[in-house]
Amino acid sequence: MIHAYDSVIVFTLGRVLIPVMQLFGLYVLFFGQYGPGGGFVGGVILGTSVILSILVFGLNESSGRLVSRVLHGDGVGLLIFAGVGGLCLIGGGAFLNYADLEFPGLDVASRRYLGILLAQIGVAVDVAVTSVSIVLSLAVTNEEEDSHV
Amino acid sequence: MSEHLPVLIFLSPLMTAIILPVVGLAHREWSRPLALAAVSVMTVLSLINLVVVIRHGTMRYTFSGWAAPLGIEWVDDGLASLLMIMVSVLSFLAMIHAGFAEPSSLGGRVVPYYALILLLIAALTGIVFSGDLFNVFVFLEVGALSAYALVGIEGGKALVSAFRYLILGTLGSSLYLLGVAYCYAVTGTLNMMDLAERVPELLLSKAIVGGLIFLFLGLGIKMAIVPLHGWLPDAYTHAPDAVSPFLASLSTKVALIAWVRIMFWVVGANAEIDHVPVLFLLEEVGSVAAVVGAVLALTQSELKRIFAYGGISHIGLILIGVSLGNRTGFAGGVFYLINDAVLQAALFFLAGVACVRYGVRTLDDVRRVRGYTPWMTGALVVMAMAMVGFPPTGGFFGKWYIILGALEARNYLSVGAVVVATLLTLAYWVRILERVFHSGRPSPGQTQGQASAAPPLDLPVALKVSVGTVSAAIILLGLSSDPIIGFLRTVAVPPGL
Repeated sequence: MIHAYDSVIVFTLGRVLIPVMQLFGLYVLFFGQYGPGGGFVGGVILGTSVILSILVFGLNESSGRLVSRVLHGDGVGLLIFAGVGGLCLIGGGAFLNYADLEFPGLDVASRRYLGILLAQIGVAVDVAVTSVSIVLSLAVTNEEEDSHV
Repeated sequence: MSEHLPVLIFLSPLMTAIILPVVGLAHREWSRPLALAAVSVMTVLSLINLVVVIRHGTMRYTFSGWAAPLGIEWVDDGLASLLMIMVSVLSFLAMIHAGFAEPSSLGGRVVPYYALILLLIAALTGIVFSGDLFNVFVFLEVGALSAYALVGIEGGKALVSAFRYLILGTLGSSLYLLGVAYCYAVTGTLNMMDLAERVPELLLSKAIVGGLIFLFLGLGIKMAIVPLHGWLPDAYTHAPDAVSPFLASLSTKVALIAWVRIMFWVVGANAEIDHVPVLFLLEEVGSVAAVVGAVLALTQSELKRIFAYGGISHIGLILIGVSLGNRTGFAGGVFYLINDAVLQAALFFLAGVACVRYGVRTLDDVRRVRGYTPWMTGALVVMAMAMVGFPPTGGFFGKWYIILGALEARNYLSVGAVVVATLLTLAYWVRILERVFHSGRPSPGQTQGQASAAPPLDLPVALKVSVGTVSAAIILLGLSSDPIIGFLRTVAVPPGL
């Protein structure tokens, strides 16, 4: 398990910096359609903020187990991405052709906007979860996994 | 709906691989049926795909609706559809086999085990269909990363092999990526069709030549062509018995197919660099690989290693075939590739069964199999015939057309290489079969060993089915070689041949 870092300076700075990082990550994610950024970069920043909070505030046994169970769903982001693509297929267009998303009452431009945003959110979730799970798998030895033979 | 077939074939293993960890959280035992279902859906779709391609010709699938040079394109032509059948049917068989040879020490890792196998299959599908250099790289990496994890999933000694495989495989991927970067820097495009218009005029440019060399080296490590084969025997020998059929039959062959795509669809069959035909160089590389691989196989004493080196030798033979520069040779090469994929799957099924059920690891242990298991002995004989190249197995027709193509191209060195490799193959099979059928009295030590060993068990039905099906497929491939070769010579032929 990872223990909290016992220092007032690190605690205080962490409390200030981590929300700012997360906000910036979200900004990069949503800004990705108009400029540099997007799901991958946004996801990395979000993931890093979580990693930083684990390093600063620590992770005890029980919540560590909870986190590693949640990480089983690390494909969910990819599922969102592929799901959006699949919806386009069902709508009659090519895979990931957002113009064919079946959203009633939306013009083509808004459909594309929504489609790209959803797909990017999927990418961001996947990247963030993966980066956290790399850190956890290095730090946490999970004996529960192997004992269930 | 038929225009979406390539992406549907790709999505069925991929989506299942993503869903598996979530489902596996609650129902670990569902992972195997789900994986099997995904692969069977994929097999059915690829069969439909072949029919559609034969009826309507090449399909080009553009992702997101962006047209080719800008967007990412998949090409579903004769070659790709035929190879998809190979990939999906072999994946199906290997998946059935994987369930029974599932490593017992997996425990909770059984869910990632199936998810990784499905990811590997999805990646191979991507490489077969991809019409874009960078896309090939992405799928090479996806497949390779799953393969590293699969090789080491049992832990212990396999981890060392997996690590070695990882280092060399990553080197291969990096070289390939470097080659892609060179080509992109000069031409400004990654789409194969777009590249094909620009590369042939640029063959005097050092950047393009360097880029192509990097592409070949990168893929050469992946396909284990002879000087670059060091990672393969260890990885296959120490991989779980259920995994090595996937790796041996599909991953090296698909890397070779990626190179065939680049060679014929981008560089062009008649390309010459400084008056040296590119295909001629490849053919020489193939000849060396075929002979050296077979010699190395002859010197091995472990069953799996013999088969692994045999596979290395066969990659050389296939490279000779596809590089002959005429339709006969190309058809022979690709036919031999399909045949060899089936054969390698069969060999590693057998090696796995022999190891799990009878504890056969080395050449001397083979005699334990004798007498108890007509299924295994029969399959072994079929495989020996196919590997050496006796009619009516697929191996014979593959080699026959490769030699015909070499004669047509007046390349007698290649003919010699094929013949020498065949004789060497015969030599190492004689070593194996001699131990199976050898009728001499076993020495006292061996009698004791046999007495103390557990009484041999008969094979479970599923293993009989998988071993029997692949053996039948080898003969069936030979018997139906005519339509397949005809298809390869007319529909799946690359431009410029």
